[in-house]
Amino acid sequence: MYNARMITVRLPQRKKELEVPGPRRVMDLLAEAGVRPTTVIVTQGRKLLTKDHRVEDGATIDVISVVSGG
Amino acid sequence: MKCKRCRRAEAAVDLPSHHAAFCPDCFFLFFRRQVTEGIRKHRLLSREDRILVCVSGGKDSLVLWDVLMDEGYETEGLYIDLGIDGYSDRSKEKVLAYAASRGKTPIVVELAKEGIPIPEAARCVRMQECSICGTVKRYFFNRVAAEGKFTVAATGHNLDDETARLLGNLLHWQHGHLARQHPLLPGGDGGLVRKVKPLWRVSEVETAAYGFLKGIDYVTEECPLSIDATSLVYKEALSRIEDRMPGTRIVFYKGFLDPSNPLRREPQSPASAEAASLPEGGRDVDSRAAEADAEGDGGTARACASCGAPTYAETCSFCRLKERVRKAREMRAARVSR
Repeated sequence: MYNARMITVRLPQRKKELEVPGPRRVMDLLAEAGVRPTTVIVTQGRKLLTKDHRVEDGATIDVISVVSGG
Repeated sequence: MKCKRCRRAEAAVDLPSHHAAFCPDCFFLFFRRQVTEGIRKHRLLSREDRILVCVSGGKDSLVLWDVLMDEGYETEGLYIDLGIDGYSDRSKEKVLAYAASRGKTPIVVELAKEGIPIPEAARCVRMQECSICGTVKRYFFNRVAAEGKFTVAATGHNLDDETARLLGNLLHWQHGHLARQHPLLPGGDGGLVRKVKPLWRVSEVETAAYGFLKGIDYVTEECPLSIDATSLVYKEALSRIEDRMPGTRIVFYKGFLDPSNPLRREPQSPASAEAASLPEGGRDVDSRAAEADAEGDGGTARACASCGAPTYAETCSFCRLKERVRKAREMRAARVSR
């Protein structure tokens, strides 16, 4: 259930979603999710977030992997 | 964090490798300068070129197409439908939608119609999908470019792709590959079309950020057949190094491309590439011939006895592959009918 007091971190390529208490910096949220910063971009709606951006409680962010193989 | 360039707007992209952070508008300028500088540095393209941009639906190739169009180059897109269930359809939708948004209609090659969809071909000849995919794509890049009177084929390989490839080539001491690895593969005799990689200076994070900020709707899911690709292992290793020492990747690749580096030489036309013979052992004749077909290795190109494409063997690697798939299908049909 949606919790307005938490940050929702979505990792669509891993089909995974985390709820983390805020406020937290993007780089801390990535560490929490076990994701290295040089492999992803982080978005909030139509906004691209820098790694030191402070995310507030109730926000939903998407962590998009940029690594392509083959 | 404020943009390091305009010092007014909020930064959207931080780039530790450049000691920089940019707002969207300044990042667009930065990114396009990186690409145009990469083109200028190695004379990849000229204003007279007619460019075939090979697009997969992923971020890199669509961003490449976008930048080249914005820079005023004459371009057309080529999409190769690999015949991978679901994934190919979704990728094609992205390509068609993007092209339509720019008033373009891409050239589409469907491997199922060509009799060689990647998953089935890999099963038939028991080869890795990525290896077959590389052979087939290179073949059609060249064929479509030659038939369509394009002067050059451009792919979306970025800095991460090129450094991963470089690391793999170094770890296995692939001297022939090292000698040829370059953002520019010149065209040559027998119909080999020049191939270029204009994104060689920009990272995957940078192309993804550019695509997102420009509103380019690219396919974010990974090719389901590339999960075990060795290039991902090299990328992982390099990204760990980049995390600790930002800027290592670009230093690594620029140093490799330096003309004084004895491991490589300046790009030459295939006819003069005999010196770059591949090391013996470790790979089969087919894979060596495939590379020769692809990148101009081993003397003078001639026409494939079967399809007429340029090759350094009697028949090109694509036709040999097709023949192996055909025979495997026949054997399977014979077993079923018994």
